[in-house]
Amino acid sequence: MGEIILDVRNQKTAFITGRGMAQAVDGVSFTLERGKTLGVVGESGSGKSVLSRSIMRLLPSNAVVPSESKVILNGKDLTRMSEGDLRRLRGPEVAIIFQDPMTSLNPVLTIGKQIMEVLTFHMGMKKRDAKVRAVELLKAVGLPQPDVRVDQYPHQLSGGMRQRVAIAIAIACEPDLLIADEPTTALDVTVQAEILDLLQLMVRERNMAMILITHDMGVVAGRCDEVAVMYAGRVVEKAPVRALFHNTRMPYTAALLSSIPKVTDPPHRKLDAIEGRPPDIINPPPGCAFAPRCKFADAGCQAQMPGLEGPGDHQWACFKPLGEEVTA
Amino acid sequence: MADVTSSEQRAGQGAKPEIDRNALAIALHKRSRRFGPYFWIPMAWLIVVAIACVFAPFWGLPPADEIDWVYIQSPPVEGHPLGTDNLGRDLLSRIIWGGRVSLTVGFAAPFIGVGLGMILGMAAGYYRGWTDEVIGILIDAWLAIPGLVILLLFSVVFGGSLFMVCVSLGLLFIPTAARITRAATLNYATREFVLAAKAMGASDFRILRKEVFPNIIWPLIAFILIDIPIAIVIEGSLSFLGLSVKAPTPSWGGIIAEGREVLSTFPHIAMYPTIIMFLTVLSFNLVGDAIRRRLADVREGAI
Repeated sequence: MGEIILDVRNQKTAFITGRGMAQAVDGVSFTLERGKTLGVVGESGSGKSVLSRSIMRLLPSNAVVPSESKVILNGKDLTRMSEGDLRRLRGPEVAIIFQDPMTSLNPVLTIGKQIMEVLTFHMGMKKRDAKVRAVELLKAVGLPQPDVRVDQYPHQLSGGMRQRVAIAIAIACEPDLLIADEPTTALDVTVQAEILDLLQLMVRERNMAMILITHDMGVVAGRCDEVAVMYAGRVVEKAPVRALFHNTRMPYTAALLSSIPKVTDPPHRKLDAIEGRPPDIINPPPGCAFAPRCKFADAGCQAQMPGLEGPGDHQWACFKPLGEEVTA
Repeated sequence: MADVTSSEQRAGQGAKPEIDRNALAIALHKRSRRFGPYFWIPMAWLIVVAIACVFAPFWGLPPADEIDWVYIQSPPVEGHPLGTDNLGRDLLSRIIWGGRVSLTVGFAAPFIGVGLGMILGMAAGYYRGWTDEVIGILIDAWLAIPGLVILLLFSVVFGGSLFMVCVSLGLLFIPTAARITRAATLNYATREFVLAAKAMGASDFRILRKEVFPNIIWPLIAFILIDIPIAIVIEGSLSFLGLSVKAPTPSWGGIIAEGREVLSTFPHIAMYPTIIMFLTVLSFNLVGDAIRRRLADVREGAI
């Protein structure tokens, strides 16, 4: 067991909306050790991004988090921290990379300025030292000609380069936890692998912990230690990455996996889309949230909510897990 | 053989216009980005006026309030290139010293107004909620008071102080500046780079200063450029009514008002400051327009 960096306990995040309470994250718990990567997978609207912002405490003002929810980072309970203490923590202890590097960089500041900003604020560096360090960081994230690029504006860089800059900003203060919120969704497929490799390298070199949020099963496959599958604000299956792919228990995970087209499929084969839509999180169904779309669901599934249970480190929230019939 | 040479020739001919075409495109592009004579001529006038006013004490002109008993209400003569006014004071000297008042008000008032309006607008646009409500109500209330009443009030209470003329005029620019800033801030405060800055531990003040401000500065610069000539004209009207700086201190509006009394006999006294003021305001408008158009090319959101 390595040192536990992050301990999320029963995180619940709801939003006050015109239609009622939208329970975006509903009782998510997990721990993350140093040097490990947790993949969080789910459809759009499953609560992945809200979870990441809940961990960072970067929620809009209409968000409601009950007091039983705890986020413990390096032994400090973020839920009880003042805004000022949180500010000192964001950057040196936890950092986030956003989906779209087009919008997460300020268009009117040079990328050097944006990196130096963090260094001068958190590390107390002098301007000149910060610039030297900024060039080093840009070099570390594999940006070509870092000494030229440092004085350029975001619009002069390609999408992949911008995401590299965003990574450079995120790792500038050597955080213990890095949250990557769909870091490759806005990028070309050819650049995706490079960015993911870079993230993995940074995590390994700096011995950080990473939460990799994505809707792409292929992204988590080779790069995560553990994967949590989210559906309607809950974790429905959590397992080490091998177990999840080879011994899928939750029908939702299986449906996600089978919706990926395979290279070995014959051409023009119809894709296996999941029927139906994700549930309304303002008025969720009483039972399992996936039941209305599930092939195996029965009246019991509709009526009662399954808990996240299972032996060892593979857990699932399902009354009728796959593979059960064979063993029973 | 013949075919080869002709195709080579064609290739040779083809290459040359290609270069010319690019050169032409570059030239056209440069021309479209260049400031034309409608910028440079008024700019030159403004520079002349600015130098004349800023260095007024060094031109060896008679003091603006010195009375020359020999020439009273005189047309241009030696020693008084623009003649003298009805008290025998040198008109050129008075116009130059009066220009100092006009230019001071012209620059100070918009900066005071936009500065205060920007703070209010940024607070309203960034914090939203009750801050926005309160500032919105304050601005609406402020707009409900006629501008002339405020100007008169200030001139009565602080009678003739140049600084207070700037402040009272600046106050009139606050509402528009605050609204422009609020709209621009709203646009940028919700952008992801602001959230990203927050995620890296930036405080609200830091975000406003480093992330939002550099983005919203352009529409405000354009607004200042519009306000400078407006402030000069309003100051001119105020001094014409005798509500600006006190009597012995010359100002353009004041000289025009003095000249008005003898308009039929000595029109030059009112005419010279009027022409100077007209040219200066026109120049500010033309230069401001040119810069604003240039800003609009580079930045969306400039007026």
